[in-house]
Amino acid sequence: MEAMAYRASTRTRIGYILDRETWLGPVMLFPAVLYILVLVGLPFLLAILYSLSDITVGDPSLDFVGLQTIQEVVENPVFQKSLRNTFVFTLVSQALVLVLGKILALALSTEFRGKWIFRFLILLPWTTPIALATISWLWMLDSVFSPIDWMLRAMNLLGPGAPLGPAKNLYWLGKPELAFFSVILVHTWRMLPLATVIMVAGLTSIPQDIKDAVAVDGASFWRALFEITIPLMLPIMAVATLFGVIFTFTDMIVIYVLTRGGPIDTTQVLSTWAFFKGIEGGNLAQGAATALFLFPVLLGVAVLILRFARRAEVA
Amino acid sequence: MKDKKKQSIFSRRDFLKGAGTLGVAFGAGPILAACTPAVAPIPTPVGVVPTPTVPRLSGELKILVWSHFVPRYDEWFDAFAKDWGAENGVTVTVDHIGLAELRSRTAAEISAEEGHDIIELLDPPADFEPSVLDLTDLNQEAVNRFGPQVALCTRSTFNPTTNVFYGFCHGWVPDPGDYRKSLWEQVGFPNGPSTWEELLEGGAQIKEQLGVQMGIGMSNEIDSNMAGRAILWSFGASIQDENENVVINSPEAVAAVEYMVQLFQRAMTDEVFSWTAASNNQLLIAGQASYILNSVSAYRSAQKAQPEIADDVFFTPSLTGPGGIGLASEHVIPISIIPKFVQNPDAAKEFLLHLVANYDKAVFESELYNFPAFFSTAPNLLREGGWLDDDPFRSNPRNKLDVLKTAEQWSTNIGYPGPANAAEGEIFATFVIPNMFAKAARGELSPADAVAEAESLINPIFAKWRAEGLVGGGS
Repeated sequence: MEAMAYRASTRTRIGYILDRETWLGPVMLFPAVLYILVLVGLPFLLAILYSLSDITVGDPSLDFVGLQTIQEVVENPVFQKSLRNTFVFTLVSQALVLVLGKILALALSTEFRGKWIFRFLILLPWTTPIALATISWLWMLDSVFSPIDWMLRAMNLLGPGAPLGPAKNLYWLGKPELAFFSVILVHTWRMLPLATVIMVAGLTSIPQDIKDAVAVDGASFWRALFEITIPLMLPIMAVATLFGVIFTFTDMIVIYVLTRGGPIDTTQVLSTWAFFKGIEGGNLAQGAATALFLFPVLLGVAVLILRFARRAEVA
Repeated sequence: MKDKKKQSIFSRRDFLKGAGTLGVAFGAGPILAACTPAVAPIPTPVGVVPTPTVPRLSGELKILVWSHFVPRYDEWFDAFAKDWGAENGVTVTVDHIGLAELRSRTAAEISAEEGHDIIELLDPPADFEPSVLDLTDLNQEAVNRFGPQVALCTRSTFNPTTNVFYGFCHGWVPDPGDYRKSLWEQVGFPNGPSTWEELLEGGAQIKEQLGVQMGIGMSNEIDSNMAGRAILWSFGASIQDENENVVINSPEAVAAVEYMVQLFQRAMTDEVFSWTAASNNQLLIAGQASYILNSVSAYRSAQKAQPEIADDVFFTPSLTGPGGIGLASEHVIPISIIPKFVQNPDAAKEFLLHLVANYDKAVFESELYNFPAFFSTAPNLLREGGWLDDDPFRSNPRNKLDVLKTAEQWSTNIGYPGPANAAEGEIFATFVIPNMFAKAARGELSPADAVAEAESLINPIFAKWRAEGLVGGGS
């Protein structure tokens, strides 16, 4: 009897807490806040401390050197090149992802035979482990044994007297411009499925009565796209872009596997350079300082995009 | 430190006993081989040399090593380590990871102050010195037992600035030139090139007449780093001098870069800028390379995948430059460190001594990839009629690898003519040298400007590590 009374009073107390927004909000947010503090906040704080010190992989003691490490990082021409490459790599690949994602989303929003296999193929790059997928691309883009080159040679587009040049191969990862193009291509291929899925969700969220009104008014495809569909999808496109930018800015797998930042550091980005300098080279302070440069950019991008999304939503 | 030393020292008599057992155990192998036809099963060294008077050990020993290029080596090593543990009351665990993950894993364990008792890296781990045990006692004991260590091994584990042995080197891997005999015969070099000038002359003719390029990488990876250093050294240039002062900006370095520009333009293709650690193997096996710089691993792969190509592959020692100097970098160098956090350093040291005592077996199981740091421990390798004269892994002809008998004379350490150090390590990891050559080869910078730019990247790295107290020079 006492036990039942105790259980009833406990239920009442829990119900009381759950009914009060001042309690429920913090309780629901707590796991997320804890996660961010432990797995994001703490490493971020450590990165700041490291970048103000002369720490190395072999000597974890923190001797503060002020801004000396950051100054050394900024003066390094490879860092400057990496910073530039990071922006170009992110902007170009995200522009491609947005445009191609939108096209695929429109295609997927219509009904046609074999749609499921089309959808499966589009999602495949996202479900394949990225290291494995990038190694496959490494073989595809091999300087000597590339099957793409083989097909181009078979079509008489590559080789002596062919329009793409007399060499037997294009050397996808051996020429700076082609190497940069290749890493953008692979990264776009990898990011496209998620962007497509997000945009399909955005398309389906457009109310049917608006679509019907557009059809009744006889708006052309392009007019409906630019004046109705895209404006209504802007908030969700902004989220897709934000996710893509942050992911691209901080990721190093594609470049690490394909080029390791080469040739001549032309595909080096901040994340790979931080790894080579800080972990492989042992200069942990400079590695941390390099990685820190990602933060203000990402913060700025996040604020801008979220503000834009909010405005678009309100409008 | 002295106490530890006392525990580990064994009498010379014990060592002689061990060496005698080694001789008896391995003596039978070559005799049997001599009595059997060429297709006989591969003779393997048998028996294990016991470590003399091992002190009482207990507890756990966790070992982290790379996944060897030769899988059978890993199988042998795992069983060897566990057998030693069983005999000495130590529970041994061996973990293998990929070569590329070794440094990041080590950094993580050092940072967490938790992990393996022995970590075997494949490049000089000089930057880890503050967090690892000074292994002077172990190195001295090894010299007492096994005789002198190969100089490049000592220079890759000893820091003369701090007077500390930060690692223990049990072996090293030579990096000869591999050439396709049938191609070089056609351009008048039946024994392959012997100088860098001949490499340029013959390689250019082969590419022009036979359409086969050569492959010396200029990319962000390990083989390109080693090739670039070999060319610098052979032209009389180096990154640092013997006292760890930066001397890269020299007429000799500019001449080396000018040479590489010629070599690229006349004998290579753009693939060398996308070179990876696997490129040597791929190209050699596909018959698409007239010359590469590699350990025997590429050749061993060819033996298994394309025996007819392997039969056509022969080896050269390091090519000589204009001054008659010819030096190659060790290909990789297995160096063990014992982090300061470990609970069982005595077991770790005893195991490493036991490994060295049995290095004949290690050399064999690696298919002659590993060379010993103490030549006395692998007598079957160099002796007249030994494995390099009569390859147990069926080279055709059987003495194809005999060029490696002199490998110690033409191989050196990263950092030559000085010691390996943390600054040289960071320069290696950030690909300064391959990019110096590549920028000139692609015409982005003149050779002189490429060298000057490399110097501007190298100087701050040396300054950083000097400030850490780990690198000398700078006066």
